[in-house]
Amino acid sequence: MAPARRLLALSLLLLLLAAAAPAPSAAAEEFTEELLLRPLPDRKALAHFHFRSSTPAPARHHHLFPKAISHLVQKFHISELELSFTQGRWNYETWGGHDPLSTNTKPPGVELWAVFDLPSSEIDATWKNLTHALSGLFCASVNFLESSTAFSAPRWGFKSNEGNLRYGALPREAVCTENLTPWLKLLPCRDKAGIASLLYRPSIYKGYYHSQKLKLTTSKTGGIVLDQSLTVVLQPNTASGKQLHSADGKPQPSWSLEHLFNRKLSGKCLVSRSSRIFVEIEKGILAESGPEASWSNEFFELSTAPDRVLNELDHLDVQSSSLYEYDLGNYNDDEPLDVGITWKLPLIWSCSPAPYYARRFLMGSGNERGSIALSFLSTDLHKQLGGSSNDCSIKAVVLQVFPWYVKVFYHSLQIFIDGSSKAISEVLEMIHVTPSEDKLSPGTLEMLLRFPCGMQSATLILDFDKGFLHIDEYPPDANQGFDIPSALVSFPEFNSSRRYPETDPMFVSPLLENFKEENVVKSYTEVLLVPLTTPDFSMPYNVITFTCTVLALYFGSLLNALRRRIGEEESKLKKAASRPALIPMLIARLRGQKADPSNSESSPVSPIGLKLLLKVAFVAVVAVAFHYLSNS
Amino acid sequence: MAFARREHAPSRPAVLFLLSILPLLVLFTFSSAAAPPAALHNNNWAVLVCTSRFWFNYRHMANTLSLYRTVKRLGIPDERIILMLADDMACNPRNNYPAQVFNNENHQLNLYGDNVEVDYRGYEVTVENFLRVLTGRHESSVPRSKRLLSDEGSHILLYMTGHGGDEFLKFQDNEELQSHDLADAVKQMKEKHRFKELLIMVDTCQAATLFSQLQSPGVLAIGSSKKGENSYSHHLDSDIGVSVVDRFTFHTLAFFEKLNMYSNASLNSLFNSYDPSMLLSTAYYRMDLYERALNEVPVTNFFGSVMKTIHTDLAYTGFLAAREVETPLSMRNNILEGAMLQNEASARRSNIEKMKEAQLRSDGWTEVLLEGKNSDTVVMYGLGTMGVLLAISTWLSMKAL
Repeated sequence: MAPARRLLALSLLLLLLAAAAPAPSAAAEEFTEELLLRPLPDRKALAHFHFRSSTPAPARHHHLFPKAISHLVQKFHISELELSFTQGRWNYETWGGHDPLSTNTKPPGVELWAVFDLPSSEIDATWKNLTHALSGLFCASVNFLESSTAFSAPRWGFKSNEGNLRYGALPREAVCTENLTPWLKLLPCRDKAGIASLLYRPSIYKGYYHSQKLKLTTSKTGGIVLDQSLTVVLQPNTASGKQLHSADGKPQPSWSLEHLFNRKLSGKCLVSRSSRIFVEIEKGILAESGPEASWSNEFFELSTAPDRVLNELDHLDVQSSSLYEYDLGNYNDDEPLDVGITWKLPLIWSCSPAPYYARRFLMGSGNERGSIALSFLSTDLHKQLGGSSNDCSIKAVVLQVFPWYVKVFYHSLQIFIDGSSKAISEVLEMIHVTPSEDKLSPGTLEMLLRFPCGMQSATLILDFDKGFLHIDEYPPDANQGFDIPSALVSFPEFNSSRRYPETDPMFVSPLLENFKEENVVKSYTEVLLVPLTTPDFSMPYNVITFTCTVLALYFGSLLNALRRRIGEEESKLKKAASRPALIPMLIARLRGQKADPSNSESSPVSPIGLKLLLKVAFVAVVAVAFHYLSNS
Repeated sequence: MAFARREHAPSRPAVLFLLSILPLLVLFTFSSAAAPPAALHNNNWAVLVCTSRFWFNYRHMANTLSLYRTVKRLGIPDERIILMLADDMACNPRNNYPAQVFNNENHQLNLYGDNVEVDYRGYEVTVENFLRVLTGRHESSVPRSKRLLSDEGSHILLYMTGHGGDEFLKFQDNEELQSHDLADAVKQMKEKHRFKELLIMVDTCQAATLFSQLQSPGVLAIGSSKKGENSYSHHLDSDIGVSVVDRFTFHTLAFFEKLNMYSNASLNSLFNSYDPSMLLSTAYYRMDLYERALNEVPVTNFFGSVMKTIHTDLAYTGFLAAREVETPLSMRNNILEGAMLQNEASARRSNIEKMKEAQLRSDGWTEVLLEGKNSDTVVMYGLGTMGVLLAISTWLSMKAL
């Protein structure tokens, strides 16, 4: 009895411990959901969904944090990782290039980078396994980044690191519902409740720009923060939205959540700590409508009164943009939230751009060689920022990865500033080149450039030769051409942070925290499409057929010559000649001549032969009769 | 029981037949002693493959996704479906309906749905990857979601659509899967106990030719057309601008739309539902490798995931007890089933032997005839007569003119 009681006590103690142990971690595991809406100058609307799950430490069991991600981090020793699926290109000229959202845009296709907490010898192997794991997790061909020709290790052009960063991009990867499905499965409420329930697939994939991101950060103590964000640029459904002013040709369409997503919001995801919607009104609009941050003024009106208004302060502590906040906790099924904006007067404004618009294009013709040009067009941002002394300059960092079959001659770099050729040393401060190796590794080019402030345009030109691929290396649609991934241009002297002075210490918003981070202003260039020489893909078959024919002819005649025994054949032929020939005899008979009985055909033929002959004759007669009858 | 049946064998009259069957019997006594009892059907898998790239092949993707939707509706979970789509049609720039794929011009049903999971897509859909999925020979880093983790109790549905020809199926307009490749992969799967029963359904031109090399038992094959026949698309959607579904798949779906998980429709009724005048081709079934009678096999055995439940009156008593109770029951079932299967198989094999014998005899006849006299003379005489008769026939026809 005594041991049993002791056992019971022990198990009770264990139970208590077990109940107590996960309690603090459960309390610390957090999930927040946020949505930012912003009208864009070209009559479109931007929606940025942001979900953050965090856990203090990877464990065997998680309440809110996705287990798959915690496994991933543990298994591959990831200290940072970002995976993005993007469709369409962010329009830096109209949609802005200086705010935290536009500097976090991504190039078309898939982009993956990861920083590993591992010795450098193990990183490449881990990266390979990681790409496979991610491809399984997100239903995408991320595993094509596994090959050493697909990823690179930039040192400072992307993000300064100690050689433990790997970067890869697949510009042609398709992005569709199958990528969103697993991404949503990482959320505790999936798309069944809360902000994610707005994600109606046909409307979000109809957008002009669609970028689905996943960012993982591990802290020193082992805590993991998972940021999932989805940025879409949509055309509001103007047919149902009221247009008040169409006289001047630039009416802003009025929109609401229902117009954009075909859904209404009926409450938050219950496990989320905070669930908020922000409507951001840009500095440009406020400059027109007056600094008084009212949600209903002569220019526009928000459909619902906001719960709070946050004003951004720029570096001179002047109010710039405003955020109108809605707490989803106050809404439910009976009172769904359908926040929207109604324009009363036409308004033209612009978003603040990056210091330069970066563009990239191809030059040259033919399938042998070409040139890549990277052009910078000044947006005169520095003038707005006030620094206009003569000797001022703006830094720009360029990261460009070339696939091995684009063989770039790095020495051929030419720089033109405002149309005139300049010595490279005048502009180029630092350069790091990792030349490509055929079928082994891509070429990486990192450059730190310094442009004079007054410069209007700059162009960098690099020549390249087009390589040849093995016939097995061509994709099924090789005639479409090959992609050169986007180049990344960053401006380290500019940062995109936005400050929102807090009035309430209890107010925690991961989205605004992200906005506050001092990130450099970045922009991606276009993806380039290089046509390469493509072979005639039926050629191998032709070669095989021809070779087989030639071989057969040669082999046949050679074998004949080698195997023929001429002596024997001649003796056989003689024998045959001595035997009575059948055909001349038959001819003779047909002519009605009497054949020599000694030569008659019956004597050498045995009864079986005769029978066969008769049968053949019978068949032939039947055939002739049929032929004759059918003819007549 | 199996032994009693074996004793009947010597009473058959043909001595040669007996001789041929004897080694088989010996084999059986060994194999039945050594082989583990055949497993019960306990899980379902589906491998759905669309092998065509490019927008004008929209219908092939719609075919595959329709089947995907059907098997999902009938109970196969996403993690047991390997979906291979060679191109992205749903978010293709040419698609007027982003993230939507339709198989009917009435646009009632979005096949892409809200939670589609594609395992292999785009350039990943290659013959190599397809064969790797079937045979399970992957690199170690390939995640579980991309593997066919079936076992000896699995019923697998393999659906393929694309452009095909005599004994091949094109992948991405770039490479081919040949009937030999498919047969080899299936044979390897059988050896590795990767399936109990396999249903191969192919919707391509000359689909039947793809099955010609199959030899593994437990395989049932359905093709949309016979050798020399084309499989046609069903109708064109003028909004999308291309044909949206193939005839064979359309009629397959028409059959399945009437069913739910609990229906008892048999494979026979599915096969009989194909009307050659509607398909514009002749659906072909290869059943000689399949043991069970088709009218007894419900379609949900392959297109759904409906298991036979074993009812026990005993309460649940934890893992140990459950195993003790369950093992003898399933063992008995399996032994019985196994014995019956072996008898059927032996009968079938003996039939094949007989046919071979008959062939041999006919070969012997010609040989004897030709060996009786030196063949050269016979041939020469035959030729001579033919020449003469040809002359006569031309003469006669000339006269007739």
